[in-house]
Amino acid sequence: MDWTVSVIAVVSSVVRGLSLVHPAIPMYDVRELTKIYEIGKVKIRALDAVSLNVPDGGMVGIMGRSGSGKSTLLRQLGLLDRPTSGTAVFDGREVTRLPESQRITLRLRYIGYVFQEYALLGELTAHQNVYLPGMMLGEKTVDYKQGAARLLETVGLGERMGHYPKELSGGEQQRVAIARAMINRPRLLLADEPCANLDTVSSEQVMQTLVKLNEDMKVTIVFVSHDPMDRRYARNLVVLSDGKVASRE
Amino acid sequence: MRLFPKYLRVASFLAYSSVVRSNLGVIVLTVLILALAGLNLLFVPGLLQGLVDGANAKVKDTYAGSLVVESNSENPLIVDSAVLMNSIKSMPGVESATPRNTLGAELAFSNERTTCVVTGVVPEGERSVFTIDRYMIEGTYLTDDDSWIVLGVQLAGADQADIELYSRSLKNAHVGDVVSVTYANGVKKSYRIKGIFKTDFIQTDLQAFVSETEFESVAPIVKGMAGSIRVKTADEASILPLAAMIMRARAGLRVSPWEDYAGIMRSMTSSFSVINTILNVVNVLVAGITVFIVTYIDVTNRRRQIGIQRAIGITPGSIVMTYVLRATFYALIAVGVAGLVFLYAVIPLEAKYPFHFPFGPVYLIFGIHDMARAGLILLSASLVASFLPVWLSLRIRIMDAIWG
Repeated sequence: MDWTVSVIAVVSSVVRGLSLVHPAIPMYDVRELTKIYEIGKVKIRALDAVSLNVPDGGMVGIMGRSGSGKSTLLRQLGLLDRPTSGTAVFDGREVTRLPESQRITLRLRYIGYVFQEYALLGELTAHQNVYLPGMMLGEKTVDYKQGAARLLETVGLGERMGHYPKELSGGEQQRVAIARAMINRPRLLLADEPCANLDTVSSEQVMQTLVKLNEDMKVTIVFVSHDPMDRRYARNLVVLSDGKVASRE
Repeated sequence: MRLFPKYLRVASFLAYSSVVRSNLGVIVLTVLILALAGLNLLFVPGLLQGLVDGANAKVKDTYAGSLVVESNSENPLIVDSAVLMNSIKSMPGVESATPRNTLGAELAFSNERTTCVVTGVVPEGERSVFTIDRYMIEGTYLTDDDSWIVLGVQLAGADQADIELYSRSLKNAHVGDVVSVTYANGVKKSYRIKGIFKTDFIQTDLQAFVSETEFESVAPIVKGMAGSIRVKTADEASILPLAAMIMRARAGLRVSPWEDYAGIMRSMTSSFSVINTILNVVNVLVAGITVFIVTYIDVTNRRRQIGIQRAIGITPGSIVMTYVLRATFYALIAVGVAGLVFLYAVIPLEAKYPFHFPFGPVYLIFGIHDMARAGLILLSASLVASFLPVWLSLRIRIMDAIWG
């Protein structure tokens, strides 16, 4: 568990003092979000008028059975997809109709995304995977490379920085993915079933990391899980069923 | 503004990583195909240029000279030709000049007859303007005051049944044989053949030459006059200014550049230019389509990777530039490989075993500007062809790119 503590220390040292946390103001305000997929003549309503608030500094869990619309909702929040209707206000700014160029900037600067299946770039080493978004942000080379190295060391992969994804286990790849999501010091971290492919020990480590990031660095976290056991990590819980909000806690 | 924009920095980094981690076989194959297209871009124009230059050189060096000076007045002969000759020889850019007179004639040998134009020449002057004396396949060329005749192989036949006009030649006339010549003015003469030449340019090889002294004995009227003066210039650029200068030197002259005597060669070289252009376009398309296919397959295989890059905030500009840079890298290597192979393998090999055309061997003509042109064409084709598939892939939604 040492590395989970360390990662918090490293990233919090950067974020500290930025005064980005305003608990009273929702970071994300989602209203009546609907997503309909059209497959031929068949229309599938993946999200049906979902409304939710993600408080600044919150730890929100989105739960539900497979096919309930959890990942679809997270992709809308991550600006990876556009809803059919509804609004989503991120940090006071309506984002559903933003041009792609502005959505890219938001994804790069403010939103970290951890994919269920790690989604690392196979041609890059763990270190390169982590510092690539930093490079895109235009920071100094030495800064993003050192930052990436520190993040990898703190997630326990300091010795494996030069390894390619296929040379890493699933748990290791997911830790690299978390480090990558944190490289630009995002305000919001979205994790889509981050433990789906991990063993119990690795899953616990990953989830504890998210909790610590949220508690110590005040990084707002929204995670998706189908495992009812994971509800213990969330301070706010949204349960989806058939694309609708079934319950909130 | 940064000297090296961040999108370019990211693109260079991704392109480098992609090349380093790519399958070596795929890289070699891609470069090889591009290099072949590059070789084509060098070889075909080089060959056609060699063809054109070879044909033009034959026209200039064995048939017309650089300039042909003729009378443009009622008298078809240039009077006081020696004076004009000296004047022309003193002009800047003139290497040499020689007079010629011609008369139609019928040649007879054994049972064969053929018609031709017999040309009276100053042998030393001919040697300074033309290179016919270097193409003797039998005997030697004329000397001043010679009373023998020199025949082109298309007239003599010389038992070379494979020549184009053998059937209408004297077929088996050789050096030392005596041919009967009946001139158009009725004079009949018998000449011993001093030499037979074969330039591989039919119009030249259909000519017969006697010395000026001999010609004047057949047609005394031409004494002191010339049917034409053939001029050899130092270079191609001085031809037209010289023509104007000669016309200013004396009235009543017509001065024609060698191109006017190129005849069928002229239309042939025009056709070569068109063929060259068509083949270049085809080569560019082949190179472009090759890069397009390679990039398209690559992009299709990496659709998810591209989706991930977009998801983590890599701009479309960086992604496009990644593939463009990679294609540029491949194209640059291909240009280098093609250039080296062309310089150190194709050109020496072709020089040793040249292509043979009706007007003689053809050598590849190649300059540094040809290399630059081929390189630029290949690069441009690669850039456009690599841009398109990536640009198309970026139109796919991130969701579909990552999760299908």
